[in-house]
Amino acid sequence: MEQNEKSSLLKLMSDQLSRSVRMYLDNCARCGACVEACHAYASTGEARYTAVGRAQNIRRLYENYHTITGKAAPWLSEAVELDELWMDKVYETAFTCTGCRRCMVFCPFGIDTQQIQTIAKSLLIGADLEPKPLTVRAKDSIAKGVNSEATRAKFAKQMDQLRQEVVERWTAEAGKDVIPLDVQGANVLYVSMAEAHSILPAARIMNAAGESWSLSYYEAVNFGAFVGNRSMTEQICQRIIHEAETLKVKEMAICECGTAFRVMKHVMGPFDFNVITLVQLLERYIKQGRIKLDKSKVRGRITYHDPCQIARNGGVYEAPRTCLRAVTDDFVELQPNRCLNWCCGGGGGLVIAAEPEFRMKTSKIKAEQLKASGADIVATACEMCYAQLNELVDEYELDMKVEFVSNLVAQALVD
Amino acid sequence: MFGRIWYFVMVPMVYLAFVWCVLGIAFKTMQVLRAPRLPRTLRIFPESKSPDDRPIGGWAAAVWDTFAMPTLWRFNPTLWFFLVVFHIGIVILIISHLDLLPQVNIVSASSPHMIGNGTVGAAVTVALLYLLFRRFRGTVREVSVLSDYLLLFLLLCTVVSGDIISWGNSWSDEGFVMTKQDLGKYLESLITFSFTDPRKFLSGSHYPVIGFHVLCANLFLMVLPFSKLVHTCFALPMNKLRRG
Ligand code: SF4
Ligand code: SF4
Repeated sequence: MEQNEKSSLLKLMSDQLSRSVRMYLDNCARCGACVEACHAYASTGEARYTAVGRAQNIRRLYENYHTITGKAAPWLSEAVELDELWMDKVYETAFTCTGCRRCMVFCPFGIDTQQIQTIAKSLLIGADLEPKPLTVRAKDSIAKGVNSEATRAKFAKQMDQLRQEVVERWTAEAGKDVIPLDVQGANVLYVSMAEAHSILPAARIMNAAGESWSLSYYEAVNFGAFVGNRSMTEQICQRIIHEAETLKVKEMAICECGTAFRVMKHVMGPFDFNVITLVQLLERYIKQGRIKLDKSKVRGRITYHDPCQIARNGGVYEAPRTCLRAVTDDFVELQPNRCLNWCCGGGGGLVIAAEPEFRMKTSKIKAEQLKASGADIVATACEMCYAQLNELVDEYELDMKVEFVSNLVAQALVD
Repeated sequence: MFGRIWYFVMVPMVYLAFVWCVLGIAFKTMQVLRAPRLPRTLRIFPESKSPDDRPIGGWAAAVWDTFAMPTLWRFNPTLWFFLVVFHIGIVILIISHLDLLPQVNIVSASSPHMIGNGTVGAAVTVALLYLLFRRFRGTVREVSVLSDYLLLFLLLCTVVSGDIISWGNSWSDEGFVMTKQDLGKYLESLITFSFTDPRKFLSGSHYPVIGFHVLCANLFLMVLPFSKLVHTCFALPMNKLRRG
């Protein structure tokens, strides 16, 4: 590694040393209490897939460049030099960890591996080694915000096609603006994914509830957060925040995408408007009696996979359960669940950045957990989980279907 | 020659170690405080009905997490047990060292024993042996570094030499070689900065054991701010971050 490249990478590392990160790097006792927490370790038994194992890849660099003991006696802490070989370890820290933060529950100090992971990600970006599919997608999202006039026209056209689909499927909606855009003063700005599956069920339910809503021109997913680029993360969010402020909406409902929700609410927020995830909106409609559901419409035993970014890291536990209990009388919990639920293994952008073989191998424990539930349907409220769970169901030949909570609620709607 | 070395270890080095430790902790604290603060929450959410419903959020929960280690109790009760024995034992040992002073009388001033009659030190020794030996096995071994072993070894040396002082010096035919009162005089000479040669109060062949005990304690104080032992100061703020 050239000296100037090394210097600029080390500068990037220094820039990431926030108050919390310094504490996390200085204080780990290497007690191993976090070892069993990680789904990847629980599935493979490999120490490199433990929270502490991953963090050590960064801590050993930190020791070398930022601590007195590391400089004076590097052998004590096994401090290492930054070089090309070590960048492989850095990659391992960044992109074998989903940032689910289950380990944080187990650690007696609450060390946040995801924060340590941000150093790894920024080093990879600096060395141009980050997974390119994530960066390309993040750049596309930003470009969409920059060329908003052109993309808005294109988007509006796409929505025309979707509107037809809605009216064909649900005749009661004929004559209404089933997918409203640019509604000034709407109660809800709904930020979806680009695909129909993220728009149609939500539109159907919001219309049934008589909601005043507007669909965002921008997709919710934040590839900037996955790649670990703070500036990109903010730019992607800013497009949507600007739209919400321009329309003067009361609330922003993020589609079933865990990272998009967490980043908008807990990283970028708070704002003058409220930020919720779609399942919270659905829960409100059910509790207020604004939508009626027929439990006979959805058949089979349902269980729920808590997406890490919505549940453990976002605090939304009960809303999806309320929705599912309104859809069925045959609901079972996964064991463990809520704060301790096993990560699906696809978060943190790994669904795109990591090889399927790796994701399947490291999520064996998740497959076993799903199987043990005896459910016919596993519902979730996150796009990444949905994709990963579908692959898991195929790989481990589980006799179950993966569904979004919103889709189940839409299916159970009484016209 | 040895007399001078032991004098250095038992008097000037004690002051140096204390000052070094205090300055080191201040340095580490400044390093943390001067680093930029993240403008967002790092909390994880316990099982509550909504993110705004915080029945056990904040400092109270952080204090509980730090001192009771509830998740460790739930997921690794054996480790929890030995860590609790170790940490509580250390606190009792610190108090019992203060009790050596004539001004403090938790145990009767006339008793030759320290608090617990040596059992606390023995319990801490067993806990330390557990913590050390588990590092030679399985995944914990794979994630351990040399300093993890050396720190435990240093602590073990400190505690075992303390055990010898506490128990061993009562093995002579005449009873205690050095009593609580003798050790108290040495401690008092330290806190009054009299720079008296400790040999004046501490007679007999156990003197080098006490010297070794003090040397280990000095080294412990000196490495504390610059090793993972600094969690003594930062465990609570880190838990506060988790609790929001
Ligand atoms: S549980 Fe916490 S302190 Fe212990 S090894 Fe894991 S990260 Fe380090
Ligand atoms: S954040 Fe999740 S994936 Fe990453 S080390 Fe912790 S438990 Fe494992």
